[in-house]
Amino acid sequence: MTFDLSDILASKRAHRSRLAALPIGEKLRLLDALRERTIALHVAAAQAGLRGRPPGDADPPEPAWNPGAPR
Amino acid sequence: MLSIHRVIETLNEMEAEGIVEHYAIGGAVGATFYLEPVATLDVDVFVAFGASSGALVTLEPIYDYLRAQGALVEGEYIHVAGWPVQFLPPTGPLVEEALHDAIAVEVEGTAARVFTAEHLAAIALQTGRAKDKARLLHFVESGVLETERFQTIVNRHRLDEAWQRFAGQFLTDEA
Repeated sequence: MTFDLSDILASKRAHRSRLAALPIGEKLRLLDALRERTIALHVAAAQAGLRGRPPGDADPPEPAWNPGAPR
Repeated sequence: MLSIHRVIETLNEMEAEGIVEHYAIGGAVGATFYLEPVATLDVDVFVAFGASSGALVTLEPIYDYLRAQGALVEGEYIHVAGWPVQFLPPTGPLVEEALHDAIAVEVEGTAARVFTAEHLAAIALQTGRAKDKARLLHFVESGVLETERFQTIVNRHRLDEAWQRFAGQFLTDEA
């Protein structure tokens, strides 16, 4: 299997451009989703005894869904 | 439920009720208005108070207003619609100018004031942490900056040397 780094980088740039061109409302919802995922990951890690709370959260809120549920 | 849109609505309500003279979103959320969304842990909101507030800047009116609505204050953050929001008075001439020149952007029927891309990039240059350099590089690579406007801001706020160092480090070996 061979990789063409320039093609890979071009693909990444194109993907970033598509994301940047999304309507702002959609981009802000993506931020909401990213933060929810970050919180869920930190809660799961804390429960597993791996790390502390995410920055900016003394008591992270309970996730609104079951972190173990398929996405 | 997390909602930056609701944070923006709350900011507009505060402005309408005179809690702040005006506000503008900066930081990573501000950058999102121009670039691809990148995970961030808080919302940075810069606020200006009216002249009648005097020389002493206090954020207590903001905290009191939001506490009255049930928001939780935690250190320098106040939680609004699930987001830790950090309210910041202007931290220097560049941010003062950014706040003054902030633009209004409509977000699904709600007006939001946000720093211009050029000011966000200049502030990132000035702040200079690793993540700020990454953000500045994103701005440069995205092509959203008005080059002349950005350079004017850099010159006006004496960031020329910082820009030369950044350009020398990150912009000289493009493929």
